[in-house]
Amino acid sequence: MAILIDKPTRVLVQGITGNVGSFQTQIMKAYGTNIVAGVTPGKGGAEVDGIPVYDLVEEAAREHDFDAAISFVPARFAKEAAVEVISSGVRLLVMTAEGMPDQDVLAVVHYATIKGATVLGPDTPGLISPGKCKLGVHPHFLFKEGRVGILSKSGSLSYEVGRVLTGNGIGQSTVVGIGGGPIWGLSQESVLKKFEEDPETEVIVLLGEVGGTMEHDAAAFIRNHMNKPVIALIVGRTAPKGVQMGHAGAIIEGEEGTVESKIRAMKNAGAMIARSSIAIPAIIKKLGG
Amino acid sequence: MRLLEFQAKRILREQGIAVPKSVLISSSENLEGVSFPAVFKAQIPVGGRGKAGGVRVAEKTAEAASIVEELLTSTIKGHPIQALLAEEFVEVRRELYIAYLIDKKANLPILMGSSAGGVDIEEVAKKTPEKIIKKYVDPTLGVQDFVIRSLAKALRIDELQGFRSLTHRICTIFQERDATLVEINPVAVTPNGFVALDAKILLDDKAAYRHRDLFDDLQGEQRRLGRRGRIRSEELAEERGITYVPLEGDIGIIADGAGTGMLTVDLLHEAGGRAANFCEMGGLANAEIMRQTMEVVLANPQVKVLLISLIGGLTRMDEMADGIVQCIGQINRGVPMVIRMCGTKADVGKQRLREAGVEAFEDLQEAVRVAVERLKES
Repeated sequence: MAILIDKPTRVLVQGITGNVGSFQTQIMKAYGTNIVAGVTPGKGGAEVDGIPVYDLVEEAAREHDFDAAISFVPARFAKEAAVEVISSGVRLLVMTAEGMPDQDVLAVVHYATIKGATVLGPDTPGLISPGKCKLGVHPHFLFKEGRVGILSKSGSLSYEVGRVLTGNGIGQSTVVGIGGGPIWGLSQESVLKKFEEDPETEVIVLLGEVGGTMEHDAAAFIRNHMNKPVIALIVGRTAPKGVQMGHAGAIIEGEEGTVESKIRAMKNAGAMIARSSIAIPAIIKKLGG
Repeated sequence: MRLLEFQAKRILREQGIAVPKSVLISSSENLEGVSFPAVFKAQIPVGGRGKAGGVRVAEKTAEAASIVEELLTSTIKGHPIQALLAEEFVEVRRELYIAYLIDKKANLPILMGSSAGGVDIEEVAKKTPEKIIKKYVDPTLGVQDFVIRSLAKALRIDELQGFRSLTHRICTIFQERDATLVEINPVAVTPNGFVALDAKILLDDKAAYRHRDLFDDLQGEQRRLGRRGRIRSEELAEERGITYVPLEGDIGIIADGAGTGMLTVDLLHEAGGRAANFCEMGGLANAEIMRQTMEVVLANPQVKVLLISLIGGLTRMDEMADGIVQCIGQINRGVPMVIRMCGTKADVGKQRLREAGVEAFEDLQEAVRVAVERLKES
């Protein structure tokens, strides 16, 4: 079993009729993801690639059972859509929206906590368990089934590392994009915990970046609770202080936000440090003895 | 967006929080409306301004002119001072610290207060964290009265009614204007109640669409006051909503994701090159955005080589190639171009580039190495 999603996971797509939503839905479906229904307000009764579309989540819920949802709803309406689907009792929500206001994210994450739901994102490519299920926008041909778990703040960096690993014959269990921050639903620490418990994951690659303090919390978790090997690549070494490197969370505000301090914390926790994507396969092969 | 002090104080005043009487000054010739003794404070977007000499006191008009002149011709932490806030003196009994912000670890708003206001609060937090009282707030319920009473007790505040309305007003600013931080340090306890002596407000740029007029006004003011010396690339990028960070090298960078963009810059530095900028288009880029982004990066005359790092997820490589080819047709500064392309529809993209006479690399590190070589040749 992979983490968070698996072959039987039944999926609802929010914003299924939009440009990105319909294109990505077709790709996910072709990959084998079990998409049972979609929702777009005002488009009830339509179909996308044979998938029925409803106006409301509650209407979809009357006709279908689903465990997870992925939202392609744009930032302005993403909070509303998230609350709607979480109130239906969904277990996992992937919010792809880029640029959601922080206070909206806080409200969604707080509501999810109350309702016992897990939120991945926002500003995330989602996640993929190669060969089993894809709940996101990853270029899936860069990944293959295997035993390395990847968690990343950046979508593009996880594609890069997936490509390098796959090219070296190393497959992945699950590739999780947690999003660009600065507010996250699922944290690095929570994903590490799931990988540690997952019998199909043997090695974990953590892709972090400059800014914030999340990698420090992840390092503390690695030191205190993990037995599996962790390889960390932290990007943004050359970022000047006080500027935002693309991701809302990638900005140095204090000493803890620098790449050096994060690498130090990871090293002290026993993680191995990679300085580029192509350095990772050799480290993994060495672990395999 | 980080507001300048006078902007933050204007918002406080609008919300009913007392601030000292003040005048904004941008020349030593016009000191009209300043009441002496006065405090002159540099309006720059950085902390630690007082220690760096950006806050000066003048007893009378005679000495004010030279102080103002001196401040307006100096630069603090890289920021040339373009304006000063001239404030009246306030009689202070005690100084407090109070802030309302998002705690990113707990994913909750947090109300913080301290009796150790006025001094360097980061130092207080580091050395004596027990002196900072922290109260988490439910984001849907907002600040409840017992939280305020508890904080007032911890800070030994007698005047509960005044403290209550001060706290509520801070929280209202946070809530209604999509702030991520509202910090008053220090809050002066005066015979006439609480007065905000300094203020820092951060607004959430992602929520700008909900406060269009406010953001436009604030940005307009900041542009007039202190953002001189920006290069053309920065201005163009801002107009077009493209993420662009100027750096000091000569190899222009474009990436289709923040993470690979940062990795590209890191690898470039390791290979002995220096990036002229960091630039990422985001996941929703198309041919037109690619073309516009190239214009942005090439508008910097320092750029001697352009390195484009693409690993299509949401972005489609066929569209990226179209954008690159269009740009080559339009602006030709003779800047060598090194392209790394893989991911969604990369085969089609590479074919289209090849037809236009441009070769694309599969491997990022190789592309980086070649970019450094091209620079040496140029």
